[in-house]
Amino acid sequence: MPILVIAIVAVVIVSSLVTGFAVYYLATPPAVGPVPVQVIGPWAGSEWSKFKPVLDKFKTVTGIPYQYTTSRQEDLTPTLPISFQAQQSPADVIFMPSATIKQYATRGWVTELTTTLSPSSYQPGALDPLTVSGKIWGGAYTGKVKPGFWYNVSYFNANGFQAPTTWAGFVSLLWALKNKTGQAPILAGDGVGWPLSDVTEHFIATYGGAAMHQALAQRTLAWTDAKVQAVFQNYLVPTLQNGFWTQPLTWNDPAVLASWWGGTTPPTHPLYFMGSWITGMVPNPNDLGVFSLPGGASTQGIVFAADYFFVPKYGLHQDLGKRLAAFLGSEAAQEEQVKQGGHIATAAGVPASAYPTVDARVAGLLQGKVVLADLDDTIGNPFQGKFWSELQKLWATPAQWQTILAEIQAAAVAQP
Amino acid sequence: MAWGIGLAWMLPFVGVAMVAFRPLSQTSFGWWNLSPFTVTVDNLIAAWNNPGCPLSLGLRDSFLVALPATIIPMFVGALAGYGFARFQTRTRDYVFLSVVLLMAVPQMMVAVPVYNLMIALHLVSSLWSLILLHSAWGIPWILLFMRNFFRSLPPEIEEAARVDGASDFKIFFRIVLPMSLPAMAAVVVFQFMWVWNDFFFAQVLIQNANWYLSTQCVPRLVGQYVRPFDLLSAAAILTMSVPVALYIILQRFYIRGLIGWTIKG
Amino acid sequence: MNRRGGGLLPRLTSLLPEPATIQRWLRSQAKFLSFFLPAAILLVVLVIYPIAATLTLSFLGPDGGFAGLQNYGSVLGSPDTFNSACLQQGLPCGTLLNNLIWTGIHLPLTLFMGLFLAVLLQNVRGASIVKSLVFLGMVTPLIVIGVVLRFILEAPIGLVPGFFDWLGIRSLAVNWIANPSTLLFGLILGTVWSWTGFSMVVYSAGLTTIPKDYFEAARVDGASEWQIFRKITWPLLRPVTLVIVTMTILWELKLFDIVIGATAGSQQGGVGGAADVLALQMYRYFFIIDYNRAAVVATLLTIFTLIVAVVLFRRLLTAPRRKKRRRLTPSVRRMEARRVGPEEAGGSEVVT
Repeated sequence: MPILVIAIVAVVIVSSLVTGFAVYYLATPPAVGPVPVQVIGPWAGSEWSKFKPVLDKFKTVTGIPYQYTTSRQEDLTPTLPISFQAQQSPADVIFMPSATIKQYATRGWVTELTTTLSPSSYQPGALDPLTVSGKIWGGAYTGKVKPGFWYNVSYFNANGFQAPTTWAGFVSLLWALKNKTGQAPILAGDGVGWPLSDVTEHFIATYGGAAMHQALAQRTLAWTDAKVQAVFQNYLVPTLQNGFWTQPLTWNDPAVLASWWGGTTPPTHPLYFMGSWITGMVPNPNDLGVFSLPGGASTQGIVFAADYFFVPKYGLHQDLGKRLAAFLGSEAAQEEQVKQGGHIATAAGVPASAYPTVDARVAGLLQGKVVLADLDDTIGNPFQGKFWSELQKLWATPAQWQTILAEIQAAAVAQP
Repeated sequence: MAWGIGLAWMLPFVGVAMVAFRPLSQTSFGWWNLSPFTVTVDNLIAAWNNPGCPLSLGLRDSFLVALPATIIPMFVGALAGYGFARFQTRTRDYVFLSVVLLMAVPQMMVAVPVYNLMIALHLVSSLWSLILLHSAWGIPWILLFMRNFFRSLPPEIEEAARVDGASDFKIFFRIVLPMSLPAMAAVVVFQFMWVWNDFFFAQVLIQNANWYLSTQCVPRLVGQYVRPFDLLSAAAILTMSVPVALYIILQRFYIRGLIGWTIKG
Repeated sequence: MNRRGGGLLPRLTSLLPEPATIQRWLRSQAKFLSFFLPAAILLVVLVIYPIAATLTLSFLGPDGGFAGLQNYGSVLGSPDTFNSACLQQGLPCGTLLNNLIWTGIHLPLTLFMGLFLAVLLQNVRGASIVKSLVFLGMVTPLIVIGVVLRFILEAPIGLVPGFFDWLGIRSLAVNWIANPSTLLFGLILGTVWSWTGFSMVVYSAGLTTIPKDYFEAARVDGASEWQIFRKITWPLLRPVTLVIVTMTILWELKLFDIVIGATAGSQQGGVGGAADVLALQMYRYFFIIDYNRAAVVATLLTIFTLIVAVVLFRRLLTAPRRKKRRRLTPSVRRMEARRVGPEEAGGSEVVT
């Protein structure tokens, strides 16, 4: 019996000590070599492999190693305020939407970058979303255009379909596709909600015009206004009610590619609304066609969503964070990024020759249109989360569009 | 009939396993499509090394929290349970009942002050915060469970030892504890399972990607534009593997603990 | 020490116990405390103080001043909590109603499924293995259960939409995660699946406490199986049912992980907030540093759970007074009994 007791006590003490020491030692990893700068960005998988060359270039230029972590904005939204409140930061440079960065700045969680970044090295106005009374709180990285509907050119040519030039033409194209496949012609992306908000913004910017989009982003126009309602009633909602959209489908490569792009069998949902990053996701980008919604208001807009980054006040190495921030805002870094495809620079001086051909085609769609900032990124959370989930509801129950607009308006009013 | 029910009940787990152990190209239109059928562990390896939230670190951190957060409250709770079982008065019965009532309080009720407390102690994003919190949180039920167990032990042995001049602590450690091993085992399996499976406390206290627990990794294995079902299912399998393995090995303690925890069988 | 007369002082001191008694009392307290103190410290610092602090926070304004019931008003008045429009327009109904709907559907279903399985598996070969399989849902982390449900409910990878598509029922062959009503009911059915293991195991244990001769006697008297169930099994299982009901309601109120797991980490409770629950709402207020309203939601949640727990306690405390020493009544009285045989090892009577 005593042996048993001793054995138990020994096991308990030893295991407690072992775990205790393990926690203690692992909590303070010994520093080997130069201290890395810690970066959190939203990109994983193939997107990350396009961002990696940029960080590698930073490492060659400065000799500072980096440590990159993927974290979606949806996951950072709840965790960042909690850690800043505890005067901690998970990284030295973090990518977040501009409105969130400004919110954090008013709480004193952000390091000022006024001396690190200069508006003159950027495209005009690129830093405006991050500037509050002359102080710059974050930097603009490259961005993506959300130009419209993507399709497989070979499939369209083989079946005699053409990109539409009028609203009526668009509707008849949808009917023709629907009759051909027997299924909804447009693939609605993702179960989280942001692709749906991109679609909605495209309808607003095209048929309501650039001014309506800007007014909604500034919250000077109500979502329940008759003009906004008209865009929904005459354009977006009918496409939903006629069954032109699939259920919102979570992107998983094989299923989405097979049903939109086609593979061994022809596509079942030949149109897909996405941002320009889609150019990096298809097997043959040169076969990729795109058209914006046709017709529409006289002054149309097109959404250009830049990625924004900031240096948190509580990062362990603010000096390193600032150096990386300066690099990410530079022409050199952004040229490296646009080369990879799918991105468009915000820094001044990136030569047109740096872009792949597909992206040049995308840039053509920008001609004659007002460049708009992403609407829900501009307003920020908690509106954004609510907006997304309300739009998911719109796709599920389009008949309730008026209630949904009222809910969105309520969220916009409640936003501080 | 009975077997049919058991198998039907397993169906959701079968689905996850199908997606986790096969390439996504074979399962993305439904995991019940069985041809072609290739078994691979690539998904598990990808989740294990995922750059966003590597399950290798997540599982390690879960162990580092769950082990001490099981052992500490087991001892502290058993000690207190013995106190309530053997030194009983009317007032202490009320104290005991109040402590037991704490079991009904939801975790959300303590989140904000505990988080502020951990800020003051500089323990936010440290695994210690979770270990301490889970230790405290596990005490009410362990205390109740162990008290009821100790009261079922015959006090004669202890009294005999007391006559021989042994102190109360000596009696507790040398006589009572060795007799309580079966009850302790039940406490260990349940407390370990609850700490391992917890998600809310971890979400509140661990904000640093280096210290995410495995349950926190599960919803995070996704990129901005990509929702990889193969990674998600692999992470699910890895995270549940530990409590399930423990359950398979120590099954009899689970049932006994659960019965003791709810009713007397 | 019963002295007559005397001055005021002796009379007062006579009210005090003998020094020896005080000493004994102190020694007994010290002895008890030396066992209880470590637990007490942990409980006070990390459970009891935070509960009191949360309660206080719920009455304070963001500036720290007293705000009365203002926070409660703003939380209860928000459509996130209670959306009266849902009666006409369907989901979302708000967190409060969602928790209520969840309980209303989940509770009877798990009770029924658990009892059904327990009775069915009572005398079957290999029953313990089947029970283990059913119980697996209880062992798995809830966040994983949420993810598992995606592989059942989400199109095109999930089983349920595929199944209804195969049956040709178009209205249900949809992406269950992306539609408000199917999301909520899909998740409720998912929790029934995972929680039934609990009620089944507890019911099974309850069944073994019913003496076999009760059934045999009834069979000899020619009672049908249904009559046996109605007249013997069900009434004798009543105390067990009470415990299961309480535990299940407590569990339902605290649901959090499963919603996050099933909606890809969205903090909104899925499409349009259709599967939003109180715990998730509290977390949302928490991470936008709105501690006061977070505290309000937490307090409301605690009030509900305490009501449920106290009802159970009262029943368990009063039951033995009515029927003394009835074998099947789980009673605190029996916990209180000073000596119980060693064969009861590992057991305890009642727990919430």
